[in-house]
Amino acid sequence: MNVEIPSFDIGRRARRVLLVAAIVVALIVPIVSPSNVSIATEALIVALFALSVDLALGYTGLLTLAPAAFFGLGAYTLAKLVVDFEQSFWLGFPAAVVIAALAAFVVGYVPIKRRIGNVYFALFTLAFGTVAYDFTYVTTEITGGSNGLGFFVPPALFGVNLATPMNYYYFALVVVGVLSIGTYLLLRTDYGDILHATRQNEQRMRYLGYDTDRERMIAWTFSAALSALSGALYVGMVGIASPSYLSFDRTGEVIIWVIVGGTGTLTGPFSAAILLTFVQDALSNVWLEGYHLLLGVLFVLFVFLLPDGIVGALLGDDD
Amino acid sequence: MTLPLLTSEQFVTYFLNGLSRGMIIFLVASGLSLIFGLVGLINFAHGSMLALGGYGTYVLVGLVGSFWAGLAVSVLAVAALGLLLERTVLRDLYDEPLLGFLGTFGIGLVIQEAVAVYFGSQSLTVASPFPGSVSLGGVDYPAYRLLVIVVGAAVALAVGALLSRTRLGLEVHATANRQGTAEILGVDTSRVFTITFVLGTALAALAGALTAPITSISPTVGLGYMTTAFLVVIVGGMGSFKGSLVASLLAGQIIAFGWLVLSPTYVNIAIFVAAMVFILYKPRGFFGKPEVFE
Repeated sequence: MNVEIPSFDIGRRARRVLLVAAIVVALIVPIVSPSNVSIATEALIVALFALSVDLALGYTGLLTLAPAAFFGLGAYTLAKLVVDFEQSFWLGFPAAVVIAALAAFVVGYVPIKRRIGNVYFALFTLAFGTVAYDFTYVTTEITGGSNGLGFFVPPALFGVNLATPMNYYYFALVVVGVLSIGTYLLLRTDYGDILHATRQNEQRMRYLGYDTDRERMIAWTFSAALSALSGALYVGMVGIASPSYLSFDRTGEVIIWVIVGGTGTLTGPFSAAILLTFVQDALSNVWLEGYHLLLGVLFVLFVFLLPDGIVGALLGDDD
Repeated sequence: MTLPLLTSEQFVTYFLNGLSRGMIIFLVASGLSLIFGLVGLINFAHGSMLALGGYGTYVLVGLVGSFWAGLAVSVLAVAALGLLLERTVLRDLYDEPLLGFLGTFGIGLVIQEAVAVYFGSQSLTVASPFPGSVSLGGVDYPAYRLLVIVVGAAVALAVGALLSRTRLGLEVHATANRQGTAEILGVDTSRVFTITFVLGTALAALAGALTAPITSISPTVGLGYMTTAFLVVIVGGMGSFKGSLVASLLAGQIIAFGWLVLSPTYVNIAIFVAAMVFILYKPRGFFGKPEVFE
């Protein structure tokens, strides 16, 4: 069943050219095609989400089924502060990071310390995700229940009104750009190698004297904080937090992006999320229900034929 | 919190509700547990198989007119699909838990979305084959639900006997314990895997077909059942058939009586939190055997 994919390194130079091209495209999208600004903003934000999930799922090998819970936690933290407590919009971002990191620490501490294994970890996080989703629905006095928490608009930043789609796009571009390049650079250091090696052979890393539980814990918490940040960015764009943020559909979708892009590559899930968000937008005008079917078929093809994902196959084993 | 006073009639009704729900959960959970416990595959396509069983029955009842014929053909058709999937793609994934989970997740998603595209995402109902009710302990109880309880019990007995009294059951246990040794002793383990997967899938389809007249069916009907069933499997003990039965019936009763004091969602949350505690501190559940699937 395994198809041999010829691996070839697309090279440092080619990658640099691609990066510059991507930056140029990202900068001129709102000017060239103003009608696509909203969808481009969404694509950027979910790309950060996909990257955060890849950090746990791909890079560290933590089979999490609860990314939507942390995405939703970030969104609800910001919405709660702005709508109910009438605090600053800007306080929402650090608050989302702190609360999600704390929650991830509390949820992840025992399962990671006890090394419960992949299967149990998946089911544990599945249960946690379901609890978080149900909780959002049922605690109407805290979360607004099925009505959600809203409605608000982002304030001005240095005199720039973020309530317009185009300005929010550039805001999201800066935030997502800084965070994802920062994460990418962080994982290119020796520390990233430690995480990568832990996924590949945990036992050997322990023999070498690394505290692999601690490294996993850090990656897990960091991933949750990034997911929460993307959730906060997302709710700033939409203006209302609703239980669908935490639904299993969202978890499934982000896992598909990660697999199709290539687990553990960071750039793969990031670009797959952007690309597939645009595909969804294009398809929604033609065949609304078809998108998820297409996504499913694509996903199955990748799992069975190209489990390393697009970028994984392009980079081969040498990266 | 004051407990509401129950009359004996109400008690019987809630108990029977819990029992029929527990039986459906059991059908889902036992199939999952077999596949999970023997093959070590987190079969995320299980919920979609349940949905297919329900939709198949819906279509066939419309075509044939008989609920039972529809149910039988639908279960057989889904079992055949399970056979096809196992023989072609899934068997390559048994040694890779991550890919196995992702692969079945994807297959489940494709089935679910195909159902949604074809039937629409609104829920459908199948007319109950026994619309009347039976007087039992001073309560008029829907006859069909009683029948679900009987069918569930019959299946539990039949599969239990299959696993503990037949040569095939012996081979299943042998394969789960020591696959290599079983092969040396002449057990065709690949056949055992196939039979187990097909049987598990058929049980899910049966659950879907039986639940269609009670609760309505939608493309995502299987997801909730599957999540509950996964946790039931853990609480009962991975790979333990008896454990699945006990934990399913327990879950059915907790849900039925829990609704008296708490809103259904809180009952759900309580069950999931309990399951999380089990995963951490008692991952083998009540009846799990240490040798089966680590």
